[in-house]
Amino acid sequence: MRILIAIQDLSTIENVPQIENILQFAAQFTRGTDEHPTIQVNIESGVDCLPPHVDTMLAEACIRASITAFRPQMRFGDPVKNILLEANSGNYDLLIVRDRPNHRLARLFRAKSAVRIAKRANCPVIVVKGNIGPIQHILMCDSGSPDSPMLGYFITRVVDMLPGKQDTTILHVMSQISAGPGVQGEQLRADAEELIEIHTPEGEILERDIHSLEKSGLHTFPKVRHGLVVDEILAESRSGNYDLITIGEHHNQWQHFLLDDLSRQIIEQADRPVLIVK
Amino acid sequence: MQESHDVNQIIHTTIQAQHLPTTLEMPEIKPIQAAWWESIRVDKIGLFILSLFLFTLAITLMKDGARSLNHLLQNTFAISNTANCFGFGWFFAYLIMSGSPVAAASLTFFDAGVIDKMGAFAMITGSRFGASFIVLFIGFLYVLRGRDRSTSLSMGLISLMVTFSTYLPGFILGGIFLQFGWLDILQPRFGGMLYSFIDLTIVPLAGLIATFLPNWMVFCVGLGLILLSFSLFDKCLPRAALKESQLGRMSRLVFRPSVMFLLGALVTMVSMSVSLSLSILVPFSARGFVRRENVIPYIMGANITTFIDTLLAAVLVRNSSAFTIIFVGIFSIAIISILILISTYSRYRSFILDSVNWISTNNRNLVIFMVIIFVLPLILVLI
Repeated sequence: MRILIAIQDLSTIENVPQIENILQFAAQFTRGTDEHPTIQVNIESGVDCLPPHVDTMLAEACIRASITAFRPQMRFGDPVKNILLEANSGNYDLLIVRDRPNHRLARLFRAKSAVRIAKRANCPVIVVKGNIGPIQHILMCDSGSPDSPMLGYFITRVVDMLPGKQDTTILHVMSQISAGPGVQGEQLRADAEELIEIHTPEGEILERDIHSLEKSGLHTFPKVRHGLVVDEILAESRSGNYDLITIGEHHNQWQHFLLDDLSRQIIEQADRPVLIVK
Repeated sequence: MQESHDVNQIIHTTIQAQHLPTTLEMPEIKPIQAAWWESIRVDKIGLFILSLFLFTLAITLMKDGARSLNHLLQNTFAISNTANCFGFGWFFAYLIMSGSPVAAASLTFFDAGVIDKMGAFAMITGSRFGASFIVLFIGFLYVLRGRDRSTSLSMGLISLMVTFSTYLPGFILGGIFLQFGWLDILQPRFGGMLYSFIDLTIVPLAGLIATFLPNWMVFCVGLGLILLSFSLFDKCLPRAALKESQLGRMSRLVFRPSVMFLLGALVTMVSMSVSLSLSILVPFSARGFVRRENVIPYIMGANITTFIDTLLAAVLVRNSSAFTIIFVGIFSIAIISILILISTYSRYRSFILDSVNWISTNNRNLVIFMVIIFVLPLILVLI
């Protein structure tokens, strides 16, 4: 499995611990793969701003993060372009990129660079941000869309990359309300067990996910929350103290124009790493 | 392979049938594709023309009868200022369970000089407040019959809260436009043929009715006819069975607010009623559910184009200032709604949903809210 670890702009990262942070997080995924990860270091401002001994610094950071071997890459110029060029041409299974702070005003006109990378990369992306630690609790947010690649990626890739016994909470958010006064609304208040028991579409999605994930050796906990999709995912991620939020991104051309960009909102507002499966 | 096998079988069977004519012999039946004109419902077109005719007649009658209500409105009900007009339009819409006839009535009152420009604008805004209560009222009846409070009331409450929160600032903005006459130049320069047709057909009929009835009764007959015309118009709209269709899947998706805003505006432009365009949402999902994210911008869009019938009424009243009043209403509410969508939409959405949750959380809050929205128009009338 091929993993690309991208460090967006080394010249703005003053402290080595910040590089170590992303490398330590990424190491949890690289341990389970045979292939050495590619680490791309971007220098936005040009060769003049190249920190001294950058290669030694990177090698030392990798040793401390227990990444024993890697393929280094140094790129100059726009990090978003460089990362996307490599990610989309290198047939990677996972891209790991660190979130960069962006000015609130600037965000009005342009999405954060991590969001742009996550949206335009062809492979799944982890945006590393906020509280980073060992991945023990995963929050898997399943919209239930039939063309969602989430479950397949979890079973075939994530389980291999993370060989430990992680707990996985399968979250389905029901943001529905009744469209009219006469509608039967018991399902609008039901929890996961009730929805599974009465075989509602949401219950069947959860049941399918539990069955597939448990077959792959993961401990699963189904959960249903009622409310706005983004708000409930963020609230659950905080209350459950999860180490990784997993969301799906599977919009085609017409959906891109018509549907709300929920993944962008989650990436921007989450306070912990987010895996975007596509 | 299965397809070619089936084709062979059909050919073989046809040859056999040609050689052995029996009573069962049947010519090959080809599926006949219906011509496009066969899907046209003549009865619905007839109903539409009838509803349009009744609407025009109703406006003409109300216009003729409105002058006689001057004394009733100004002395008996003491409708003398903007607040009174607002409360009167609001409460009147409660009484007849519809906003559009009240809005049309306000234009005829304005044309007859019973109320001024601001009064008419206030009465129209009040009528929308009253109209948005209808969905909530139906939900309230379900609660009284023992249904779940939140399920029954959520759509009505959201509709009401969105209307209150956009129409109130829209009313203030529109009031400024009207006071300074900034949009007075926007007046219709059409309708010559329409007016000639009305003069030839509707006016003589209205005159005939007016000779047999007192003026106040002419107004009431007009009001009754306008209600009838809306009821007939509702019957013209197609009742699509969307439950099993591909469109049912759309209820599961979370659309961009701007998309739902335009959809709400478009659907209501055709249906002319917010409550009707909301009821169109029900069959879009097999279970009658809609996403919270989608509903609010849909209602915001619907609240703008719901004025389309009042705009037609303004043309029929033949008073250019009446047209300006409605245009100001549409324009100011559109500005407020678009400003909310592009600036503070997520906060606005949370505010609406939190308010709805608070109201429907227990019976005490619900009763407090119902009393307020019932008493408030009466207080406004009495100020």
